[in-house]
Amino acid sequence: MELRRYIIRRLVQIAIIFFVILTVLFMLFRLAPGDPVSRMVDPDMTPEEAQILISELGLDQPLWMQYLYYLRNFFMGRFGNSFHYGQPVVTIIANRLPNTILLFTTSIILSAFVGVFLGKIASWHKGGKVDAWMTIGALATHTVFLPWLALIMIWVFAYKLGWFPITGMISEEVWLNPEAGIVAKSLDVLHHMALPLATLFLIHFGSYLLIMRSSMLETLKEDYILTARAKGLSEKVIRNHHAAPNAALPVVTSVGLSLAFSINGGALTETVFTWPGIGRELVFSVSHNDYPLAQASFLLIAIVVLVSNLVVDVLYAYLDPRIRY
Amino acid sequence: MELATKKIVLRYHWVFRIREGWGIFHQSLLGKIGLVLLLLFALMALCSYIPPRLDPMYDPMTGVDPKISHSTGPSMRHWLGTDFMGRDILSQLLAGARIAFMVGVSAAFMSIFLGTAIGMIAGYVGRIMDTLLMRLADMIMVMPTLLVVLILSSLFGQLNIWTIVLIIALFRWPGVSRVIRSQTLSLKQRPFIEAARVAGASHLRIIFRHIMPNVLPLSFLYMTFRVTSAIIIEAALAFLGFGDPGTVSWGMMLQWVWKTGHMFKAPYWLLPPGICISLITLSFYMLGRAMDEVLDPRLRREQEAG
Amino acid sequence: MLLEVENLSVGYQTKKGFLKAVEEVSFTLEKGKSLGLVGESGCGKTTIGMALMGLLPPNGAVTGGRVMFEGHDLLKMSERELRGIRWRKIAMIFQAAMNALNPVHRVDDQIAEAILTHNPQISKEEAVKQVEELFELVGIPKTRMRDYPHQYSGGMKQRAIIAMALACRPKLIIADEPTTALDVIVQHQILQETKNLQKEFNISIIFISHDISIVADVCHHIGIMYAGQLVEYGRREEVFNNPMHYYTKALLSSYPTLSREKKQLLPIPGDAPNLVEPPPGCRFCDRCSASGATCKTGPPEWVEITPTHRALCDRCLEDCGERKHKS
Repeated sequence: MELRRYIIRRLVQIAIIFFVILTVLFMLFRLAPGDPVSRMVDPDMTPEEAQILISELGLDQPLWMQYLYYLRNFFMGRFGNSFHYGQPVVTIIANRLPNTILLFTTSIILSAFVGVFLGKIASWHKGGKVDAWMTIGALATHTVFLPWLALIMIWVFAYKLGWFPITGMISEEVWLNPEAGIVAKSLDVLHHMALPLATLFLIHFGSYLLIMRSSMLETLKEDYILTARAKGLSEKVIRNHHAAPNAALPVVTSVGLSLAFSINGGALTETVFTWPGIGRELVFSVSHNDYPLAQASFLLIAIVVLVSNLVVDVLYAYLDPRIRY
Repeated sequence: MELATKKIVLRYHWVFRIREGWGIFHQSLLGKIGLVLLLLFALMALCSYIPPRLDPMYDPMTGVDPKISHSTGPSMRHWLGTDFMGRDILSQLLAGARIAFMVGVSAAFMSIFLGTAIGMIAGYVGRIMDTLLMRLADMIMVMPTLLVVLILSSLFGQLNIWTIVLIIALFRWPGVSRVIRSQTLSLKQRPFIEAARVAGASHLRIIFRHIMPNVLPLSFLYMTFRVTSAIIIEAALAFLGFGDPGTVSWGMMLQWVWKTGHMFKAPYWLLPPGICISLITLSFYMLGRAMDEVLDPRLRREQEAG
Repeated sequence: MLLEVENLSVGYQTKKGFLKAVEEVSFTLEKGKSLGLVGESGCGKTTIGMALMGLLPPNGAVTGGRVMFEGHDLLKMSERELRGIRWRKIAMIFQAAMNALNPVHRVDDQIAEAILTHNPQISKEEAVKQVEELFELVGIPKTRMRDYPHQYSGGMKQRAIIAMALACRPKLIIADEPTTALDVIVQHQILQETKNLQKEFNISIIFISHDISIVADVCHHIGIMYAGQLVEYGRREEVFNNPMHYYTKALLSSYPTLSREKKQLLPIPGDAPNLVEPPPGCRFCDRCSASGATCKTGPPEWVEITPTHRALCDRCLEDCGERKHKS
């Protein structure tokens, strides 16, 4: 019951934040130097087509009317056509969204779980060799420059060793083959996903490991751990059942705080591996002056960040009873 | 007379704190490694002025070896080889160190300045001001900075390096301001602030004389983490092709390797810039962690990843 | 005899050297009786509790002595054997009990966990039923069983911890500052209930407190500790009515009491000595109103006043004589 109220409150907050982003983006697109009309109308259009689009977007109206048109169009999913693809922007991003979500959520969940697990192990061996190597490894992978790591991964595992495809998400010979079943297709996607996923995982797990390690060491000093020891519980139960759930809370917080950072990394990874996601589409559209696509991808990414923030907050509230009640 | 003693006490206080801090810092192996690496990078940045003076062919941006028109491996003439149009990779690498320091330190400095000022105002003034500023901070905090800069550069055309620095600073203050705000809030409750207020000190005086000296060490701790993120964002931007075309940064070098299709052919070109970006980030990060231990181990964690 | 502690010494390895936190402490405890250990903070009373449970921090170690519990030496037991003793035989109520419950688990689960760990043959339902009884015993409504600790008030948390301590019907409970964080009225209630429960279940209790007035209410025996040493030990009436050690006297006059006539409250001047290099003589002599030249040079000897009452002070009998003269 309380949890639901909390979610509703957060949803309202998110709606407000999103509305502000929407408005700021509108102002930027209208106030930036150059002709706003040329930013929304494909230069290849015939004058008649252009006129229809202009009146649809309200570009011939005063600024405040344009804003209302803009809001209406946003809620009706009308973002115009991509200059480059010539298709409605909505179709393109609806096509890309699942790919991004697949890569993004898998990488975050995987790195958080592995980070928590390894951080716990590192804290058990505090001061020992295992701990030292884990800390060094985490520091090194956490600070390595992501696009460069991606290039190295491609160079080593795809080019030199040939274990994985160099780029893309699917291979045509599998997907165009009418006999290939769902299993073969999924395996194909997994095969393509392995390198981008590994790259994102390597970048992220280190910070979670370090946070979990220090948080675990702090938690083990708490009074309730002493109680648990006095209760005659075994060290294993104390660590896994009493310390770890408390120690993992800061990791969840940091997943939330680093979401924006992760989205940056996601866009870079998608671009280097030509993974057909929204991040790559944003980079691509920006470098090709495809304004309608750029605007829509940016808004969608903002939604992805805000919603995943909500998910993390709800998860936190679920894990920490002190928030819930 | 009284003023003089006060000054001495204050100075002793600072000297003592710095010496004590150095004592703790000295014990941190990570901190020492980070510091040594950073000194090496600073040396690189200083050396970047040498090659173009030896021969215009060594200019990182415009210098082209007249005898070479494609990428070549390391040689006596070009210690790290040349890029696709015959420019010297070593001198580009050295120039990149200069840009990295410039971008990192200035962006970090600006964002720390903003964050500290906003944090102190939010914490000290409180009420609506606090709510507004902190909501703004929340909002900016969820924005992926790199993608924001991308969108801006699509609207405003090629951005020069100082604009990039400014935008990074404008988007990286919220983390700092949150910490400074909570620190200010707790300081506000302390008796010496109360005493100053009763003694009739103005708000500005309280902020500058009493609150600021107490929050500045924390701000500087955050500075090292901000340097890291500024360098990464600039490098990523350059890597994607949106850097300042008038400067040579490590990110841009990587973009050239990647876009000219040399990544599988020219490891001598692919490896150095990537290693440099990663190492400089690592060393600032290690420095930050060591300073963290010196200051307050309990105040960390916020935004370690960002 | 349930518990016999003989010449127990405990120390901590610190940056400044080896800190002798507890030195040569001996006392005994009978079944169903209670002992109060009183002293200012840092005198080693908590360390004794931890040493009995085998829960000293990694830098702490027992350097000598014997702790006989039901005829077995606790100090010679393996970690595994100790785990079997903890909570089943000896339970503990910790200092700063406010944080003694794990915030992410429900209170009843935490209590049931203690029962299930030591009685693996019991079913979960049976354990829950036992928890219900325990809640009734300590006076927490059953409806609050499934709550999380932060939903409890300070007094309820303390009751829950007492319920948890009783969960396995232990022979001995070590209560370390059990009521420090509570307000006076709740403190009083909890102490009364503890007393009743102790009688009901015939449990022995060691109360550790800095507040002699708390111990006065509930303990049969009282041990006064100063700077790592037990300085006076005896039955409650003996220690209260006829304090022998000067530290005990000072302690008694530094606390207000409701029951006795108004007395001037006297703070004890000075600080406790450094325990890394303790002084050779009596440790209290720098703060003692009656110390003489001999106090500083050699260690004091135990003086037996009655068979159950002793004090670690060479001069206490002299004073006794003086007092007799005066009266």
